[in-house]
Amino acid sequence: MINSDVIRGHIDTIIIKLLLDKDMYGYEIAGEIKSRTQNKFDIKEATLYSVVQRLEQRELISSYTGEKTHGGKRRYYRVTPLGRAYYKETLNEWKLLREIMRAMLGDDVE
Amino acid sequence: MNRIKKFVSKLLKDLFNEQDKKELIEILTTSLQEKVDDLVEAGTPIDVAIDQSIKEFGNAKDVLEAFPEKQNKKDQLHRRKNQVLYSLFGYLAIVGIALYVNLQFSSDILWFIIIAIGTLFWPASMFYMYNITKK
Repeated sequence: MINSDVIRGHIDTIIIKLLLDKDMYGYEIAGEIKSRTQNKFDIKEATLYSVVQRLEQRELISSYTGEKTHGGKRRYYRVTPLGRAYYKETLNEWKLLREIMRAMLGDDVE
Repeated sequence: MNRIKKFVSKLLKDLFNEQDKKELIEILTTSLQEKVDDLVEAGTPIDVAIDQSIKEFGNAKDVLEAFPEKQNKKDQLHRRKNQVLYSLFGYLAIVGIALYVNLQFSSDILWFIIIAIGTLFWPASMFYMYNITKK
């Protein structure tokens, strides 16, 4: 289990990546993170939804109201062009970080 | 929905300015409601679904994790508040001692007032700094 302190700087990138794969609503994003990490990443929903709001404020993602199966409404999120550009930039940073860690820790990271 | 909104509003009571708070309350309430809906669809009774959603949601500190700059401000404000209280306590102690010595040994001239006014700058400046940080 890893807590959000270690991964805090990457939460924005993670959420944008998930939304690049597919438009999702808040709780769906939380479920997807749990499922992809097999519950190894513990992020509180209070933090997650607040990050989503911050990303929307920064216009990296936008929201729209969609229908759900039983007639109710859901607030779905999708990535904006600005969000795509931001993702590319942070992905390059992440690749650089990975190279640095690999250079420093060598085979221990494998 | 009312119970969820009340919970979220209470959670954010002392955080953010009114506009940010309004937006955040809306998003957090909607997301929590979506979770409740999903749980109910999966067969959980509505009251249990609401209780579970609220219990698993997290607290104000978890909300602030998404806003590191606001977290820093909150910490700074807390420090300033402690400084105000400390200066106030120190001020009252100094004035108290001065008053006691004044009345005990030379009660014909109330010179402690000069000390009371002179040292007033301490809590006043701390309070000023607290207000600046708050704004």
